[in-house]
Amino acid sequence: MQTRHRSYVVLLSLLLLILTGTNYRDIGSITGATPVEAQQSSAEQLVPLPNKGGSLKFCVLGDFGTGERPQYQLAEQMAALHGRFNYDLVVLVGDNLYGSERPQDFQQKFELPYKPLLDSGVKFYASLGNHDSREQRFYKLFNMEGKLYYAFSPKSNVRFFAFDSTYPEPEEIKWLEDELAASKNDWKIVFFHHPLYSSGKRHGSDLRLREVLEPLFLKYNVSLVLNGHDHFYERVKPQKGINYFVVGSGGELRAGNIDRGSGITAKGFDTDLAFMAAEIIADDMYFNAISRTGQTVDSGVLTRRKPAP
Amino acid sequence: MSATRGGVISLVVAAILALSACKHEESLPAPKPTSESPASAPPTERVVGPLSNEDAQALATMTDRLNEYIELYTKLEGTLPKLPKDATPQQIDNNQRMLGKLVQQARRTAKPGDIFTPQARPVIKHLLASVFGGPDGKQLKASIMDERQAAPSAVKLRVNARYPDIVPLTSVPPQVLQTLPKLTENLEYRFIGDSLILLDVHAHVIVDFIDGAMPH
Repeated sequence: MQTRHRSYVVLLSLLLLILTGTNYRDIGSITGATPVEAQQSSAEQLVPLPNKGGSLKFCVLGDFGTGERPQYQLAEQMAALHGRFNYDLVVLVGDNLYGSERPQDFQQKFELPYKPLLDSGVKFYASLGNHDSREQRFYKLFNMEGKLYYAFSPKSNVRFFAFDSTYPEPEEIKWLEDELAASKNDWKIVFFHHPLYSSGKRHGSDLRLREVLEPLFLKYNVSLVLNGHDHFYERVKPQKGINYFVVGSGGELRAGNIDRGSGITAKGFDTDLAFMAAEIIADDMYFNAISRTGQTVDSGVLTRRKPAP
Repeated sequence: MSATRGGVISLVVAAILALSACKHEESLPAPKPTSESPASAPPTERVVGPLSNEDAQALATMTDRLNEYIELYTKLEGTLPKLPKDATPQQIDNNQRMLGKLVQQARRTAKPGDIFTPQARPVIKHLLASVFGGPDGKQLKASIMDERQAAPSAVKLRVNARYPDIVPLTSVPPQVLQTLPKLTENLEYRFIGDSLILLDVHAHVIVDFIDGAMPH
């Protein structure tokens, strides 16, 4: 039975390869790595996730808590990826629960769709979006420990900073500056809901928040900023050396909402839901954006910022 | 915030304090400057202002009511078990509803204007009109409004009622927060339609609201 099932999978994979013209780029230099295979459109070269032992592997998800079928379908892709790319954590960039937040909503909009991941010990670290109640910070599975903003280090060279961009009080901004200043980690990754850079026709870049936060990111060598709010996937061209991603495509889709004329898009995907998977190895971060149908819609590798000599 | 801007703000706050004190000595009862409200909150760094002495006095009436509310809230919250940092959804919901019930019982006769006092309302509206009427006004409004925002006509706002579960919480941009009197951690400003809501976050109860606070 198992052999027959495997044969079907192989046949299906071959069929998909023929249909999509998938190609893989062998980055080859990483020892002990088992690259994660995925599909990508023929026009672009796929940069696979190295899947190296000891690396930090994580996913990014935003604007997902609808409890509706598309959210579950994307969650299935996340679980499928986890089967071959054993990521440790998922960073949530807000709008974790849409609408009511009764106990059954936590179940329907979070615990059930991500049950395979939760059962496998994957930890979710939440930031709050504009639709989220502050009480979510007490929810055990969001790992916020009662705080609206917090920082954690899953590996010694990486530190994540969760920021509450919906209600950014001055003391929170001071906290972020103090934390960034004190951090000696190679990778400083800040995640929150409202994007400083986005090509969204609906929301777009939050210029006021940018005025406040960007100087801190530049001063303290933040390498990566992860946001949601606009309901699509967008990799923004590096802005003043900082990499920005909008991953607000976890459950809600705003189809065709990327303004192609914004001039800041490195890669955009606004025709289906998607999440992002990433792997940090030394100074490099490999990333794949994966759609609801399992297609890799973006991939690449970026390098962390380093302090000026 | 630059040191210069911080210094200017401090001077403005000090000037408001001094003016308020002078006025008190002349005739009126002691007005508390809005920038100190409530007592446990740090001063608001205003993006609109400085306030006239009359406006500061008007907002001081709101400060007094806020302080009374916080006193009541603290007392009621103290009667409930503390919510753990690793709570289940059931624990969060139970805690919220128990606290909500206590607040609602204690404020049975609450009505619009109890916190956003009749004196404070026009000042709040004026402050918001200044922010939304500024160069960033359109963008600020857009960031508050969202497609999941319920139609205002579908929501009947009531003071001391549970915040309606069907209405998503809106963003409140920093520029708006910096315009309004500062709140303590358990209270938030939110918008439903064009109404400004004062929300008790932990009890999930509408403490007060102002209709038509967001200018069209």
